Amino acid sequence: MREIFNETIKEKMYHYEHETGLNVYVMPKKGFIKQYAMFATHYGSNDSQFIVPGETEITYVPDGIAHFLEHKMFEEEEGSVFEEFSKNGASANAYTNFTTTAYLFSSTYNFYDNLKLLLDFVQRPYFTDENVEKEKGIIAQEIRMYDDDPSWRLFFNMLGGLYHLHPVKVDIAGTIESISKIDKDILYKCYRTFYHPSNMVLFAAGDIDINKVLDIVNNSVKTDKRQGEIKRIYPNEPESINKNYVEQKMAVSMPLFNIGFKDNDVGYGGKKLLKKDIVTQICLEILAGRSSDLYEELYDDGLIDSTFDTEYVGEIDHGYSIIGGQSKDPEAVKQAVLDKISKVDSIDDGDLNRIKRKITGRFLKSFNSVESISHNFITYYMRGINILDYTKTIEEITHDDVINRFKTFFDEKNCVLSVIKP
Amino acid sequence: MSILKANIGKGINLYVSQMDKFKTLTINIYINNRLSNETAKFALLPSVLKRGSLNYKTYKEITRHLEELYGATFSFSIYKKGERQIAQFRLEIADSNYIKDDITEDGVKFISDVLLNPLVVNNGFDSKYVQQEKEKQKNLINSRINEKTKYAVDRCIEEMCKDEDFSIYELGSIDDVDKIDEINLYEYYKKVIKTLPIDIYVIGNVSVDKIKSLFDKYFKIDSRDVVYIPDTPIYKKVDQVKYVQDKLDVTQGKLTLGFRTNVKPGDDEYFPLLVLSGVLGGGPFSKLFMNVREKASLAYYAQTRLERFKGLMLIMSGIEIENYQKALDIILKEVEEIKDGNISDYEFDSTLKALNTSMNSIKDSATQVSDFYLSQNLSHTDYSIDDFINKINEVTKEDIIDVSKKIQLDTVYFMTKK
Repeated sequence: MREIFNETIKEKMYHYEHETGLNVYVMPKKGFIKQYAMFATHYGSNDSQFIVPGETEITYVPDGIAHFLEHKMFEEEEGSVFEEFSKNGASANAYTNFTTTAYLFSSTYNFYDNLKLLLDFVQRPYFTDENVEKEKGIIAQEIRMYDDDPSWRLFFNMLGGLYHLHPVKVDIAGTIESISKIDKDILYKCYRTFYHPSNMVLFAAGDIDINKVLDIVNNSVKTDKRQGEIKRIYPNEPESINKNYVEQKMAVSMPLFNIGFKDNDVGYGGKKLLKKDIVTQICLEILAGRSSDLYEELYDDGLIDSTFDTEYVGEIDHGYSIIGGQSKDPEAVKQAVLDKISKVDSIDDGDLNRIKRKITGRFLKSFNSVESISHNFITYYMRGINILDYTKTIEEITHDDVINRFKTFFDEKNCVLSVIKP
Repeated sequence: MSILKANIGKGINLYVSQMDKFKTLTINIYINNRLSNETAKFALLPSVLKRGSLNYKTYKEITRHLEELYGATFSFSIYKKGERQIAQFRLEIADSNYIKDDITEDGVKFISDVLLNPLVVNNGFDSKYVQQEKEKQKNLINSRINEKTKYAVDRCIEEMCKDEDFSIYELGSIDDVDKIDEINLYEYYKKVIKTLPIDIYVIGNVSVDKIKSLFDKYFKIDSRDVVYIPDTPIYKKVDQVKYVQDKLDVTQGKLTLGFRTNVKPGDDEYFPLLVLSGVLGGGPFSKLFMNVREKASLAYYAQTRLERFKGLMLIMSGIEIENYQKALDIILKEVEEIKDGNISDYEFDSTLKALNTSMNSIKDSATQVSDFYLSQNLSHTDYSIDDFINKINEVTKEDIIDVSKKIQLDTVYFMTKK
C-alpha cells in the first residue's frame, strides 16, 4: 500500500494494486457523513472497434453498446441490484462517457456492505434475450430526451464539425436504430473484454477505513489470471477539421453556440497531459474568462450573457476546447474571439498569477464534497493522472508555457462554430 | 452540529455554524420577499448589483478582486419557496488553513460592499448596467423553453395555479421588466434594503464571535422598518381536473401531473407526505420507477417532486407521444394503490432509508445546511437535521394512507409535438 500526500490541500490518499491488476484508491475524509465509491472500467463509447485479447480479428460493435451494457449490469437473475442498494439506504447509479463506464453509490451507513455489493454486481453480468429487449424501450426514451436537449445537440454537432472519423463524434447512447442491433451475445463479449479487473479502478472517499476496504476487495475480486492487452482501434483522424460550421433548428428562444478548437497535440497522458490541461485552462481564462477584456467587450455589446463559459477537455487521444453560450449573433462572437487571439503576443504576469490563484482555489473547493473528489479522480485517472499532482503542476507552469500553447492551439484553421437556431 | 443565531440589526438574523471539515468558508445571504407585480424588479437587483459597487466599479474589477482572493466565488440566484421570492447571494472563500493569508475579513467586506454600497449615479443605478441587465433578464425569461424537462413542470404549475401568486415566474414577466428604469429600480432597492427580512448563514472553520464582529462592522443598515411576509395559502379544493396541452417542436412527450396535497409545510402530516412521495416516485425502489420504467418500458424517468411550501406534489415523465394514455393510466393507478394501502415493506423501508441518507447528506454541504435552516424558519418549525430524521422515522404506513386521502389531482399537463 502506498500513501500519497498533498501538502497544499492537506489531503492523503492510499493506493493498492490487487493481484488481478485492479487499482484501488481510498481517500479518507474525516467528519464527512457521506461515503462514496466508484468502480469504473476504462471502456466508453469510443471503443467501437477492438481486438479481444487472444483473438486476431477486429470486433465491430453497434454504437451505444457501452452505455447499453451499463444499463444491463443493474439487472440480476433475482431482480434489480437497485433493490439491494435501496435496502441499505444507499443510492446507486452509473454513467458512460467516451472513455469510461463508472458504477457508483453514495451512502451514509452500511458502507462496507454497499461496497461489497458494488464489486459483486459489476462482476456478475446477467443478460437474457428478454431483458435486453425490454431495455431498448427505456434507452429509446433516454435518446429522445437528449434529442430534445439543445445543449446536448449543440455539443455533438460541434464534435461532428471537429472530427472526420474519430468515434467521439458519435452520440454516447447511439441511435434507436443502432441499439436495435444489440443482443445478449455481443453484450457478453464486450463485458468479458473490458470488465477485467486489470482494466478497472476502484475509488472510495469518506470517513472510512482503508484496511476494511482492502479486506472487501481481497474477498470480492475474483482472482482471474491477468488478461492480455486489449487492442483498441481508432481510425486515423486527420489534423484538419471536418466542417467549420454546423447548424440545427430547434425549439429555443435565441441562438446557442459552441466555438470549438480541435487539439492536435495529442497521444500522451500522465503529468504531461495534466500540464497541458492546466495551461490550456489558463489560456482560456486569460482569453475569455470572466475577468478578461474580451468578456467585458462582448458583454457590453450585448453579444453574450451569463451563460457564456469556456472549457477544455484533454483526453489522451483527442482534445478540444469550447467557448460557448447563447447569443443573438454567434458569428460576431466567433469573429471577436478570433480577432482577440490574433492580437495576443504576450501574457501579463499579473494576469497569469491571478488566474493561477483562481485555479488553485477552485481545486481546493472541489475537496469539499466526496462526489466531486470521486468524479474528478476517475476522470483524471483515465488519463493517467493522479489529481493530487494538480497543485504542484500549477506552480510549475511558466509564462512561456502559456504563450506557446496560445500560439499553437488557437488556430482559426481548427475552429468550428456550432449553432442551434430557433 | 449546532448553529448559533445572532441578531445584527432589525430583521437581520445571522446564523453561524463552525465546522472544520470544509476547505472553504461559505456565506449565504437570503433576502426574503413575496411574489408580486414587483417580482421582475426584485429579480433584476442582484444582476445590477454584481455589475459594480462603490469600491469595484466594473464587473471586471469585481471578478479580478475575487480571483485575487484565491478564486473566491460569488454568485446569486432567484427562486421561490411557496409564494415567497428569495434572492440568495453566495460567497465561498478559501479557509485560511490552506492558503497563505486569512481572507475572511476581505470576504465579509466584499459581500457587504456589493449589497450595501452600490454604484449610484445621479440618484439612480448606472443606466447602462440597468439596460443591459434588463435585456439579459428578458432573454432568460424567453429561454425557459430551452430546457424541456424543467419547462414542462413550470408550465404545469402555471396552469394549475393560474389565479394564485405562485404562478408568477421567479424572474417576472417581460412586460414588468420593460417598466424598470435606473431611477425606479434604485428607489425599489432602497425599499428592499430597509424593509425586507434578511437571513445570513455562515458555515466553515471560523468562530461565531469573529463572524459576528465582522458583520457588525461591515453589514450595517440604519433605520430599518421590516415588513411581515405572510405564509403561502395551501388549502384548495379541486372541483374539476384540468387537462392542458402545449404543442412544441419536440420528439418526446413530457407528461406532468400536479396534485394538491393540502398539507402545510410545518404540519406533522408533512412527514408522511414526504414518505408517500418517496414510495410513489422517489427512486429506483418506487412504484413509478418499477411500473412505468422497468415493467412497461415507457420512460427513462418517472418521478415525483414536492413543492413543500405550496403544498403541491408533481409527477413527471418523458414518454413516446402515442403512449400518453397508457402512461397516465399507470401513474394514476399507482397513486390509487397508495390510497388503497398497497405499500410493500420493501417500498416503505427503502423510502425511509433513502430519506435518512439524503437528509444526513445535507450535513456535508454548507449551502444545503443553510437551506435546511432557512426552510425551518419558513415553516415555523425548529427542527435540527437529526430531529427531522427522527420525525421521518416515526412515520407509519397508516400515516401515509391517512395523508393520501387529502391529495387531489388538479392538473394533467402534456407537452407534445406540433
